[in-house]
Amino acid sequence: MSNLLCSNPLIQFKMKIIPAQFPAKKSTMKPASISSRLQNSQTPSNQQLNLSVLRFTLGIPGLDESYLPRWIGYGFASLLILNHFVGSDSATTTPAQLRTEAIGLSLAAFSVLIPYLGKFLKGASATDKATIPEGTEQIFVMSQNILDTKKEDLAWATYILLRNTNTIAVLISVQGALCARGYWNIPEEASRKNLLEWFERQIERIGLKNLKDTLYFPQNSDSVLWELLPKGTRSLLVQPVLQVPKPGANQMEGIEGFVLLASSMGYAYGDRDKAWIGALANKFGG
Amino acid sequence: MEVGSLHFHCRPIPWSPELRRRTKPTLRRFLFFFRASSSSSNSRADYKGPKPRRDWVADLVSNNDDAVRSLPIYVGGASLLAVLLNRTVSGIAPVADASSSQSRADLLALGLAVTNILTGLVWLSIRPKPISVVSPEGVECQRIYSHLPDSVSSELLWVWESLSDVTCCRTLIVVYDSHCILQIGFAAKSSIGDGEPVAVDAVKLMQGSLYQNVIKSGAQSYLANLSLYPGKSELPFLPSNTQAVILQPLGEKGVAIIGGDTIRGFTTSDQAWITLIGEKLDATIAKHVKDLTLSAQE
Repeated sequence: MSNLLCSNPLIQFKMKIIPAQFPAKKSTMKPASISSRLQNSQTPSNQQLNLSVLRFTLGIPGLDESYLPRWIGYGFASLLILNHFVGSDSATTTPAQLRTEAIGLSLAAFSVLIPYLGKFLKGASATDKATIPEGTEQIFVMSQNILDTKKEDLAWATYILLRNTNTIAVLISVQGALCARGYWNIPEEASRKNLLEWFERQIERIGLKNLKDTLYFPQNSDSVLWELLPKGTRSLLVQPVLQVPKPGANQMEGIEGFVLLASSMGYAYGDRDKAWIGALANKFGG
Repeated sequence: MEVGSLHFHCRPIPWSPELRRRTKPTLRRFLFFFRASSSSSNSRADYKGPKPRRDWVADLVSNNDDAVRSLPIYVGGASLLAVLLNRTVSGIAPVADASSSQSRADLLALGLAVTNILTGLVWLSIRPKPISVVSPEGVECQRIYSHLPDSVSSELLWVWESLSDVTCCRTLIVVYDSHCILQIGFAAKSSIGDGEPVAVDAVKLMQGSLYQNVIKSGAQSYLANLSLYPGKSELPFLPSNTQAVILQPLGEKGVAIIGGDTIRGFTTSDQAWITLIGEKLDATIAKHVKDLTLSAQE
């Protein structure tokens, strides 16, 4: 078993997956020059959309150009307001100026909204990477009283979920077996031995074991959703594991458990990710 | 303890743990209702947490993709006209100087309008090109090597179901240790005339260059547009119009051949998933490989 899992880190060096981005920036002396960047991003969708895109960027590393309209909106709006109060006396503002300012401010509001709308268009790629929130520690615990094959399956499933999706913490509970891996906020009083019991208690409290539908919270506000989750969780996906009814038998679909994924970025799971996670959950459901 | 030791040997999570504070506030905050849903009176507690709210903005934008892409152009253009109209109607000379506050406000509004128009143009230019699906020509088949233990065959079937549900995969062939242990999905129709699906000649495949290269490099090979590759002749069992093929090595002894119905249909995420699934499959099969060679001698 250790053979399977310890060989996995080596795969990082062996894998030759086609890289998603080919930065071909032409660097010039002026830092703010316009340069071109070839981006080959492939989008998940039922219709197999695919694009090779030539995008113009300012060549500043770490600057996300898709947010430029938002900053321009804020900047120009503040300049408009400044101009209104400082540029002239209040007594001499004409209705024409007020109309122009109204148009300008509504345009600024729309510009601020543009990156938000752009996120939902087809072909929008998530440029943030999952960051690890403070105060979490990396853990890997699993129920002990289960078969070895089950342990391998759980370990592999948690590994693949952490590796291939934008997940920072994963919790799988299926047929009485529990496995938690990733970055969690562990309370002080729960030592390593009691960790599994702490997870069980939290799950009981929320009642996740009886979940029938997939839950997806793509954008969490700052309020803490559940005490179980690491602080800084922005997206949450809970996928129930349903028991596949045997053909011919007249039984309802039972609930075997669930797979819980937490991520520190918003809108972390696209349609393709959710499809894969559902397929992985089916593995435990048979 | 074995499980505990895994924690120390394997740290596969590859991102760097530097912390970045989130500076941009989200514009819309979706409220969560923490009302306890009425739980029915069975012994197991029902789910009591919040239910996710329907993200109507996301749905609206995804469904009207083209309209939303050209929206900033219309908004910017309309505002441009409005500003100019305002200026002429109010009797101010259309001179672009920044002397009066009116002119300054006009210039700022013009700048915003131009930004919007440019954004709309960028969005239109990066519209993804939809690629059509090509139905594979051939017959459906499902052949599993008969002497496989249950765990292996159920794993193979799970792999096929996942791939066919999630990706554009329409054919899956698994060759291990000179045997074809799985051929499922579409296959080329045999030219002999009985319409049977073409069988996989595992030995011939293993002597071919595609297989040799994949095993030697140990890495996945993605033939995004199969019609461009001369190695296509080594895969006669695939439907002739298979568009994309992924060859995933299973350890040193086997390969999984995944045929898809769209050019470049497998995304990088798909490739990553297939790689890791391939390793798991290899581990599962390798555990039972003694059964394979034993049963082959029967």
